[in-house]
Amino acid sequence: MIEVDSLAAVRAGNRILDAVTLAVAEGTVTTLVGPSGGGKSTLLRCLNGLETFAAGRVMIAGHQLVAGDHPPRALERVRRDVGMVFQGFNLFPHLSAIDNVTLAPRIVRGVPPSEARGRGLKLLDRVGLARFADARPATLSGGQQQRVAIARSLAMEPRVMLFDEPTSALDPQMSAEVLDVIVELARGGQTMVVVTHDHGFARRAATQVVELVAGRVHRAGPPAEILTAAGR
Amino acid sequence: MTGGRRGERCGWRWWRAVAACWFGLITAAATAAELDDVRARGELVWGADQEGGGPHVYVDPESPTRLAGFEVDLADMLAAELGVKARFQQGQWDRLPLLLGRAADCVINGIESTPERARDWRCSRPYFAYALQLVARRDSPLDSPEALAKEGPRGPWRVGVLTGSAAEIEMRRRTDLAVEVVGYDGTVDCLEQLRGRVLDAVVMDDCIASFNADRFGELRGIGRPFAGGTYTILTAPDTPRLSAAIDEALGKMITDGRLKALYDRWDLAGRQQMLLLRDAAEVPPAQRGSLADLIRGALPLLLRSAGMTILLSVASFPLAILIGLAVAVGRLHGPAWLRPFLAGYVEILRGTPLMLQLYALFFLLPKVGLALPALVAAILGLAMNYSAYESEIYRAGLKAVPAGQFEAALALGMTKWQSLRHVLVPQAVRIVMPPVTSDFIALFKDTSVCSAITVIELTKRYSVLALSTGRIAELAVVTALLYLAMSWPLSLLSRWFERRLERRSERSQA
Repeated sequence: MIEVDSLAAVRAGNRILDAVTLAVAEGTVTTLVGPSGGGKSTLLRCLNGLETFAAGRVMIAGHQLVAGDHPPRALERVRRDVGMVFQGFNLFPHLSAIDNVTLAPRIVRGVPPSEARGRGLKLLDRVGLARFADARPATLSGGQQQRVAIARSLAMEPRVMLFDEPTSALDPQMSAEVLDVIVELARGGQTMVVVTHDHGFARRAATQVVELVAGRVHRAGPPAEILTAAGR
Repeated sequence: MTGGRRGERCGWRWWRAVAACWFGLITAAATAAELDDVRARGELVWGADQEGGGPHVYVDPESPTRLAGFEVDLADMLAAELGVKARFQQGQWDRLPLLLGRAADCVINGIESTPERARDWRCSRPYFAYALQLVARRDSPLDSPEALAKEGPRGPWRVGVLTGSAAEIEMRRRTDLAVEVVGYDGTVDCLEQLRGRVLDAVVMDDCIASFNADRFGELRGIGRPFAGGTYTILTAPDTPRLSAAIDEALGKMITDGRLKALYDRWDLAGRQQMLLLRDAAEVPPAQRGSLADLIRGALPLLLRSAGMTILLSVASFPLAILIGLAVAVGRLHGPAWLRPFLAGYVEILRGTPLMLQLYALFFLLPKVGLALPALVAAILGLAMNYSAYESEIYRAGLKAVPAGQFEAALALGMTKWQSLRHVLVPQAVRIVMPPVTSDFIALFKDTSVCSAITVIELTKRYSVLALSTGRIAELAVVTALLYLAMSWPLSLLSRWFERRLERRSERSQA
């Protein structure tokens, strides 16, 4: 589903990613771990074209991204098939929860409003927030907001989901709510890549763990192997 | 601003000058200068409008720092007769009498004797006889002033006049004519607009028409002059001795032939002038009506002009917002080649006066064949001027939306324009609501500038009514109340918006 080949990224003269190569099979969960500044988030953002890279190649959900500036049309096609959940939620504050979920299907995919709403309500139900459909993001807790953000991404029916430290801004209890939802998605066979510091989650849900240190793939393998060997 | 940069000393001097000006204004307003004050000062300050043009008072084209005109010579002779020097004071023509007792001792500028002026000011004996002349383009179907009685090929004839002049009073009085009267602040403006085919005809004093005949070769006088009268020198009501001295001086100049010689020098038919002045009848002062009658008469006119003020505001501001938003989005997200042009648009419109922009739209565009109706030019001018300010507000608003919002929208597969339309702009609009509402109130008051291009809104209507009725203070109160009645709801609206936004941000912090 995803193939990253010899990826290199440079920011302000610093090599953020260096010869990163990895593969993610359909229906599997890959977690990116490693110290801060290791290049986890940059790698994730290169996968949906939010950041450009200097060399290498990304194949994702049947689309190819190459080094340098991406043409806007190509990016839009990639992003329709690749969902992303951010550390800071980034819900649209001027829209209710349900409108956050239905906006992209309506204007990007042209789904009729009533149909979009029906599917949106089902998704909100799936993340346990059906009764908050008409609430504004500002009235929801952090955990609730992140679950709406997941539903918003799922509404585009992405083939791959990217999570960028989805629980870092949350307290343990809210983290647990959100992780339960992500684990549930993994069980449903959703292909995903998750940047996280939470090794408990990695053990619980990951098929593969990739450890990035100083922009290079330090180690990669099944969670049992990588996480125990790291001794953490 | 620049004074402050040049250092403290300069700033201090500037403040002292301002203070002196205010002191001068206040003391001058207290009592009008009488003959003795003028003599003690050694200067007779005379008010006129150099924009009004020749042959009265105009800027000498050969030496732009010098004033020329038969009234400049007349003022010099008059001052010499009083044993003092003459000093010119500039003022807007239709408001020249308001200078009296404040900034000028007398007004000498083709002021026609009317009953209203005789009632409100001191009028000297007549010093010049005029008649009204109809002017049109050479190719115009108009062949006599009487032809104005029937509509022209494009409906009622559009006739330009100088605001507040006898020509305006006469043309507005003549309900038997099929004319639409348009008031201008300068006679040359009228002729330019006639040449640019915005007007069908102009009615002006005959001496002005013949003075400008060479410069406007494509125009011609139509028929014989009609509805004549005389010019008078105005002084403040409480200056009987100054007024008497001016009358005496004029009498001397008529008797000894100096006035005739002056008019001959200016090609103004001195002999005929003397005959006309000899026979000129005194204009009796008008009766002052009761205040209740005045307000009853003025209120419908003021209300209609208040409607124009509202129309100008509500038509131009939404346009300003749309243009401003487009410019802001273009500068932040548009193609790179477009950005310098948009930045230039904003700087030019913010860096030049609204009045100048309105002038350009109304008086200069006809020269390149694009004659906009005054109302359209006014709305467009206001909208463009304010769009520059709105675009800066929206630019700040768009920048205030967190970057994560744009990323989230893009990550969902939206295009840049879909992200702007559905995610960024709606949030920016909410952020900038308070400054935008307060700009609307500012624009609402700026509509008064449109009177410079013949649109009669509330302020202009007030000034016309105040000068024709002499009830300057009373009508000012009525006009101010009308403005308040309109801007008060706007203030309430803006406060309501702010409260709503505050509540929202409190909620989001909770």
